[in-house]
Amino acid sequence: MTNTLVILTRDLTKSYGSVAAVRGLNLSVEPNRITAFLGQNGAGKSTTIKMLLGMIQPSCGEGTVLGKRITDAEENCEMRRKVAYVAENKPLYSYMTVEQTVGFASSFYSDWRTDVASKLLNEYKLPRERKVKSLSKGMRTKLALLLAFARRPELLILDEPSEGLDPVGIEHLLQMLVTQAAEGVSIFFSSHQIAEVERVADHVCILDDGRLLMNASLDHLRQSYRRIDLVFSIPAPEWEFRMTGVEKIRTNGYEMSVFASMNADAVVERARDLNVVSVEVAPVGLRDVFLETVKEN
Amino acid sequence: MLWYKAWLETRSRFLTCLAVLTAFCVLFIHHAQGFLRPEWKTDFYRLLFIAQEYVVIVWILSVVLLGMGGLVREKATGMSSLTLSLPVSRAHLLGVRIAVGILEAISLGVVPWVTIFLVSYAGGMPVLLRQVAFYAFLLVAGGLVYFAMAVLVSSLVEGEYTAPAVAFGLVFLAAILFDAWLRRFNLWRLVTGDYYVDKKTFLLLGHFPWLGTLTSLSVAGLMLLASVKVIQEREF
Repeated sequence: MTNTLVILTRDLTKSYGSVAAVRGLNLSVEPNRITAFLGQNGAGKSTTIKMLLGMIQPSCGEGTVLGKRITDAEENCEMRRKVAYVAENKPLYSYMTVEQTVGFASSFYSDWRTDVASKLLNEYKLPRERKVKSLSKGMRTKLALLLAFARRPELLILDEPSEGLDPVGIEHLLQMLVTQAAEGVSIFFSSHQIAEVERVADHVCILDDGRLLMNASLDHLRQSYRRIDLVFSIPAPEWEFRMTGVEKIRTNGYEMSVFASMNADAVVERARDLNVVSVEVAPVGLRDVFLETVKEN
Repeated sequence: MLWYKAWLETRSRFLTCLAVLTAFCVLFIHHAQGFLRPEWKTDFYRLLFIAQEYVVIVWILSVVLLGMGGLVREKATGMSSLTLSLPVSRAHLLGVRIAVGILEAISLGVVPWVTIFLVSYAGGMPVLLRQVAFYAFLLVAGGLVYFAMAVLVSSLVEGEYTAPAVAFGLVFLAAILFDAWLRRFNLWRLVTGDYYVDKKTFLLLGHFPWLGTLTSLSVAGLMLLASVKVIQEREF
């Protein structure tokens, strides 16, 4: 168990010519938790992960993973001994068989668990002698996940891990994530599947257009974010609700919908002061938080 | 296990090339008498010189093929993330690939000439071991620059088919340019032994061309170092 931040970046930026893929990212990921990295396509999630693993160099800024500098090739190599990574496209060597792939991967890591690998091979029903190129997309995804789960790394980084999996496979994946986290593995994973994130994540980072828009615990989101639907007897006075914590206001005649990240009670109180006809306060799911945050940006 | 990976990656290319080269040598020598002309006085050694020219063509094409691959090709086929996530430096990754490639290139140079030696011996036309060693060593030591060029091209050029196309293009271009304007430094003539065999006896003339061979090896070494640098700096 480690207590320092497993991922820390400061003003991390990556530009391709005049296009900035990641802009001044200040990310901090706590140990021993499941942190979800959310964002639309092209938001910069994969670019960030590639920078963290030393596959691409930042244009500016700096970062550490497990205390090792990402821009230092030697430290980065050392860090990769303790990090398991499954890339978005689930890369595997097409010319190897399943057994050869497992044998190859196991030779690099002292934290490899042969018993877990054998168990997962059976559970996933992966044909040991078959070449990777003849596996289905789902099987390839399972094999790529097996290579990560058969280890006991300090940090597990997954880029869109559920892509290509059927519902049973997704269920198994989520269980594995929870199990790994319970064993003390810090998990950082990107996903588009908000329902899955909501089930397993402790912490959520939302990235949009290369910028980090949110870095909060899921418990905090559940407790603080509210949607307040109001109906007035007069045209809804939007300007009266511009206060701290109010992220977005939508009005439609006498009706108004307030999206608040905090201070929901103050919003309700203000509405009552204005003789509101009807008040309805509802908790907000991660999906709504994500959509509102991204739309706002 | 990186050695094993490099072997699995190149195995089919290597074995195919080895089979083609060996089969060519067996057939060439087996039917040797059919190629001989009455005016040739040094029949069999002239034939070996001709064999070397054909072996060189196939060998160069083979080592260029073996030089293809690695991280940049893996990037094009979406496999590079797995390799780069291994706790191994990029220089180490490329170093192992180069070492396996060189061993395969040596095999492709030595096996055909050992085959020629054995088939000749079995056919009652024994050849000097020194002459066989001369051709094989010249081929490998002088020709490794083609392999190094292929590795460099495969480190620079992306695309599964673009890199081989560029590498083969460079081989042909170099052959034409050097033969037209820099004949004295023509690598082809070094590797085939054209400058170093007596055109009457077709046996090695004087000393082994160490200077040309070492120069070629040095250029190959520089190209391989440049490849390592390119791969270290490259983004995936």
